[in-house]
Formats: sequence, structure tokens, C-alpha cells
Amino acid sequence: MTELTQARTEERIREEAKKALASGEVRAVVGWCATRFDDRTRPFFAETAEECDLLVWNPYCINGTAKFALDDRYPDQKLALILRGCDSRAVNRMLRDKQLKRENLYLIGVVCDGKENPICEECQHKTPLVYDVLIGEPAKEQIYPERFRKIEEFEKLSPDERYAYWAAQYDKCIHCYACRNACPACNCIECYADQYRVGWQGKAADREQNQIYGLTRAFHVGDRCIECGECERVCPMHLPIMRQTRKMLKDINELFGSYEGGLSEEETPALGGFRLDDPDEFM
Amino acid sequence: MIISKLNLNKALQILNESAQVFVPAFEVIEDRAAKKSIREKKFLPYREDLEVELEGPNTVKPPKDILFPNVEKLYQYKAAGEDSYIRETLPEETPKILFGIRPCDMRSIKSMDKVFFTKNYVDSYYARRREYVTIVAIGCTETDRTCFCDSMGIDPNTAPGADVMMNRIEGEEAYLLHAQTEKGEALLKNLESLEGPSENVKAIRTDCTLKIRKIPDLDRKLAEMFEHPIWDKVTKGCIGCGTCTFVCPTCYCFDIDNENYGTEGCKYRCWDSCMFSDYTRMAGGANPRPTKKERLRNRYMHKLSYFNERYGETLCVGCGRCIANCPSHLDISEFIEKSSAVDPKAEVYTESIRAAQGKEA
Amino acid sequence: MSIKKDAAWEPRILAFCCNWCTYTGADLAGLNRMKYPENVRVIRVPCSSKVNPQFILRAFQKGADGVLVCGCHPGDCHYSTGNYYTRRRFLLMQRLLQYNGIDPKRFQARWISGSEAAKFRDTVTEVSAQIKALGPNTKFVGAHYDNAAYQAAKEGGENG
Repeated sequence: MTELTQARTEERIREEAKKALASGEVRAVVGWCATRFDDRTRPFFAETAEECDLLVWNPYCINGTAKFALDDRYPDQKLALILRGCDSRAVNRMLRDKQLKRENLYLIGVVCDGKENPICEECQHKTPLVYDVLIGEPAKEQIYPERFRKIEEFEKLSPDERYAYWAAQYDKCIHCYACRNACPACNCIECYADQYRVGWQGKAADREQNQIYGLTRAFHVGDRCIECGECERVCPMHLPIMRQTRKMLKDINELFGSYEGGLSEEETPALGGFRLDDPDEFM
Repeated sequence: MIISKLNLNKALQILNESAQVFVPAFEVIEDRAAKKSIREKKFLPYREDLEVELEGPNTVKPPKDILFPNVEKLYQYKAAGEDSYIRETLPEETPKILFGIRPCDMRSIKSMDKVFFTKNYVDSYYARRREYVTIVAIGCTETDRTCFCDSMGIDPNTAPGADVMMNRIEGEEAYLLHAQTEKGEALLKNLESLEGPSENVKAIRTDCTLKIRKIPDLDRKLAEMFEHPIWDKVTKGCIGCGTCTFVCPTCYCFDIDNENYGTEGCKYRCWDSCMFSDYTRMAGGANPRPTKKERLRNRYMHKLSYFNERYGETLCVGCGRCIANCPSHLDISEFIEKSSAVDPKAEVYTESIRAAQGKEA
Repeated sequence: MSIKKDAAWEPRILAFCCNWCTYTGADLAGLNRMKYPENVRVIRVPCSSKVNPQFILRAFQKGADGVLVCGCHPGDCHYSTGNYYTRRRFLLMQRLLQYNGIDPKRFQARWISGSEAAKFRDTVTEVSAQIKALGPNTKFVGAHYDNAAYQAAKEGGENG
């Protein structure tokens, strides 16, 4: 029961990646490689044995890897993903949403030790929940007791304060759709926002369009959110995007029972089902 | 002319009397739920209580939206029998002063001028805004780790084309200002009352942090590399968002759409991004740039090759904003180095450790 | 805001009514010559679960002061289970809007069957009175890209 060191884990990742490529079934391994800055890595597709040696494992491996599996929805060969706990839940999310096929994936799970990313403090599942091969000893699941604390604090503000806060946030939004593109729950083949001729979403990046976009996205992914925090991490304008989706999760937990997204391939998202005895607050 | 740092606020107040002054300053949003405040450095209309920061790192968003707003109404119309009309809505401009923009951003405005003013077409909306703007540029005193403008042929200490050039004075809390145009001279006249002593002063000189190896004729080399396997590799990590284009000071693409309310409506233009699927989507649904590979290739090519062909200069000004903000940490400077070094006729491209790490040889 | 005090002001309320129950109920109210406030605009939808949350956001954006979604009572859905989805969806939607600063009275959902003409009348009257008391909606309202109006909305939009 020894914890693997960072260097040893990196070595194991490279070994497993090479093994996967050598099997001939896998076309590429998605992991992280170094950049010119020591405190940054980038998502990297290793396609040859030499490139596998470029894969790294360090506290700066913060980009999600799972979403890259959607780049090719009908692959000839498997794609191998290096998964942390959050990435594995992202895979579950996309499997559940029928966007990916398990047989098209080869999953190399790595027990994560938390990264240089604020969201990692809130992580409840450091061990991947789905994998073909696991690197490291499964870690004990943690409970993050403050999961909804910020939401509760925010709810205490007056309605006008809340509106003003979000309005100021949406004024900053530049409509880059990074949150959507990074989000594993945003896995529609074509996003409603890209169908702009239909008129759902205006192209202008002003407050009203940003509000519509922000709330639509929050509601659309709210019950399927896996709380990986990618949306907030990628936002160039630092909008607190998870404060919307977590609000949905908080209400789901209160109204329909304990719920966490992406724990298994079978779970039904809250808005994809119902119970006859659901609360009936309307008349 | 020399103006002490202590008089800076006074100078801004004087200028703000006759024009609207935009300065790099911190916008603060109170987040009471998380008990913290969010600070964002951006160009803001001057107010006395503003926390102005001329030096330090550059703003996250470039000042381009003051000349080329994110959303701009072009004309409004009504289709109702005899009441029908079409009315152009040229911006009603008042004098504006862009105070404290960096040499890279000044260069980007000059590139936008080329786009909106040359090749036999003048964009009247941009022209109107540009006419009313006076630009006070400041030489960098501190550069970010992603700054590489001098590798792109820009000097971080001078800003040709700015109306007034401003530089920090070595060893003193003061700035040296000199007019570069008539507009600039007029502006400095207003500030004469604040003038400090000017003997034996020397302006600070700064160098970029990031030095990259770029071959001089990269634009022509890239033009031959459209089908090069390097594109497959460097675009794999992209998530296809529009961050790089929206924080870029030289991305000027826009889309035109309309907003209708009953019989009335307006035509507006708004920023568009070549990273989006609908940028090249044809009416019938065909898309010549179906994946992020084609889209990112277009962006890099536009910055480094196509614009050279059309206007004779590189469109990337080396401000480093796309590097700093890319969610996937893609790096155009790394691409410049890799493509400078690569064999343009190669049929296979494999990342090597040195290239992937982007470290100096 | 000052317009709030304008006595002549009438709210604009959008009611999405399910074809099988509430719309029939509204029809019955009409047949019985029941009077209810004319500031309600009814949109017929095949089922209350057809109402996309975006319809509601768009309604506020385009100037509705209140939105009402009405469907069959649980268990009575023409499509067996549609309104169970509605129930979950709009319970969450109402809370999310409230979280974003919208008064929950501005967005409500009710169950009204085809025979409940009086309930339709009462509901609409009640909702209309509630929204009239709240005043015009200034949140999420579109600016129509008119510079002056946009500025006004930006500056004054935080109230009401």
C-alpha cells in the first residue's frame, strides 16, 4: 500500500500508453504534455511510442481529457484517455447521454492527488469510477461538506442584489463558448447556440444574450453537471458559472433526494425522469 | 513634456473635461456570497475613484472595442406602408482619449486601420469612431511572461502612429511625454500647467520576456504548408472556443444580423470568431472548415501569412493574450517556433521533446 | 422606478396552456361568459412539458411581465407522463429564476383541468393582480439594440 510518487505515476502512464498503442487497437492516447511554462500543461494526443514519452503527470495537469473523445464520434479505432476522477465521471456522463460508446474507449485511470486548480479542493472522487486499467491505489472517497455553502450564502442576498450581481457578470461575458466546449455535459451534436438562424440565441455579446445563454446552459446541464469545474476554469472572464449549475444541483438534492452526476453509466438525470410522489408545490 | 506620477490623476481630470478618457483600471465586482471581490483590469471610462494602473501587466481584453464595438447598430428600419423608412445610425461621437495603451495594441489599431480604410473601401462606422479618438500610448515598463512583441518586430518602448508617446523616466516617478501628431500636440497643450522640470532625463527601456525563434519569411513558408501534417498535431488540444479571437487585439471579423420587433427592426454587426462552426457555414449547410483543425489553421494562417500577403505585415502583434487565456494552453508563439523549424515538405510530423516543451535549444 | 406607480399600467402576462386540459378549461370559461383580465395572452401548447425553459426566458426578454404555465393535473396527462416532467422542470426553473433575482410570482405553474373554468378564471385573476402589484418587469428585458434604451436598461435595470 505505498502511494505512487509523481515520477513513478508518470512512468506508469507512459508505459500504459505505449502498451495501449502497441496493442494496435488504439489510435491515440489523450493525456497532457509540457508547455513552455513550467506551471502549465496542455492536452496532448500521443500517437506514437516516442510521443508517449512526452506525456506528463504533475500538479498542473488540469485540463479535462474526456471531452476530446467527442471530436470523432464514429471512430475506426479506440481512443485511449488518461482519466482522473473527474474525467472518469465525464466519461460516464457522455456514456449515459449516449454520445460515446464504451467499446470505442480505452480508459487509463489514474488516482488523482488533486491539482493546482481551486475546484480540486472540493473533489469527492479522486479515484476514477470507470477504467480499464488503474494506476495507483484507490483513494478513499472524501466528502466535501461545503459543497453548497456558497449557494446558500448567495441565496441570502436580496433579489435585486442577486440580479445586479449576475447582470454584472453577464456584462463581462464575451460569448466565447469556452464553458460549453469544455463541459462534458454539453455534448449535443449541435448546440442550440450554433443554430442561430433559428433565433434561440442572438450572436451579439451583450447582457441580454449572455443572460439567455447563461441561464439556458445552466438549466440544460444543471441536472447532469458532474461538478468538474471546467466551465469556471476555462472562462477567460472568470464568471462564477458553477454557481448557477450548483444551484440546480442543490435544489435537486433538496427536492428529489441525494444526487451527484456522473457516478455511473446508468443513473438517470433528475430532469430525465420523475417520481409519482415528487413535491407538488403548484396547485 | 514631463509629468510626475503624482500629477497623473490631475492630468486625467483635465483631459476628461474636454473628452471622454479611457484608462486601464481595475473594475471590481463585489462577491458577497464568497466574501471576496473580483478585480479585472480593463479600459474603463475615467472616474476619480477609479483605480488606474498604467504599468503592470496589460489588460485582459484589448481596447479594440472602443473603436470597433462588440455590438454595433448599423441601421434601423420600419416596414409599414407609408411610414416605412431605413435610417443609417452612424455613431454620434464625442472626442475620446485612449490613455495608456501599449505599443502592441497601438500596432493592432494600425492594422485595423488598414482593414477598415484601405483597398478602396472605408468603413464609415469605424472611421467615425477613429476620427474622434486621440491615442496616448505608453511604453511598457513591465512585461508579462507571454509578451513577445519584439519577436514580431514591435518595439515595446515606442508606438508609431500614436498621437502622444509616453515613457516612464528612469529612476523617477514621472513620465516623459512627446507629441507625435498634431492631435497629440493639441492634447499636450492642455497639460502644460502640470509640466515638470526636464533636465537630463532618460526614458526606461524594456525588453520582452519571451524571445522566440521566428524565421523572417515565415509567411511565405506557411503559405506552402497548408496541407502540412503539423496542423493535425498542433490543433488536437484545441477545444474550439472563441477566447483567442475575442481577446485578440487584431481579430476584426464580424457578422451582421438583424433584430426584429413587429414591423420595426435594426441591422447590427457583432464580433464573430473563425473558431465557430457557423463562421463558414454555407446557406445549404455545407461547411468548408468542418473541424477545429481547419478553423485553427485559418486563424494561425491569417495572423502569420494571409495578412502579410494582403497588407504586407504580420497580423500577430505578440501581445500574448491568446496564450495567457487559452483554456487548453495552446501557444501561438510555440507554433511560430515549430513551424519555423519544420521541414515544409515533411509528410509526417512527430512532436519532439524539445519542441513540445518549447524550451530554448 | 417611477413607472411602477403608473396606475394605468397593465401587465403583460403570457400563459402557456396545455391543449387537453387548461386550454379546454379556458374555452369553457369563455363559453360560460366568465370575465377575467384581458392582459393574459394564451399560447396553446400540445402539453405543458412542451414548454421549453427558453420560452420563459425569451418571454421575459421580449417584454412579458409574467409567465404562467398551465397543464393537466398529475395523473391526467393526455400523454400519460408529460406533466410529471413539467412538475420537476418548472419547480427547478422557478427556483433558478428566483436565484437570479426574478420574483417567483412572475413565473408560476398551475394544474387546471378541462372542467375547471372557474379555476382558470380565478388563477388568471390572481396572477394578474400579483404581477400588477409587482410592477413592470425590468429584469432580463431585451434592449432592442437601441443605444438609448440599452443604456437605460443597463443603468436602471437593477430595480423592480
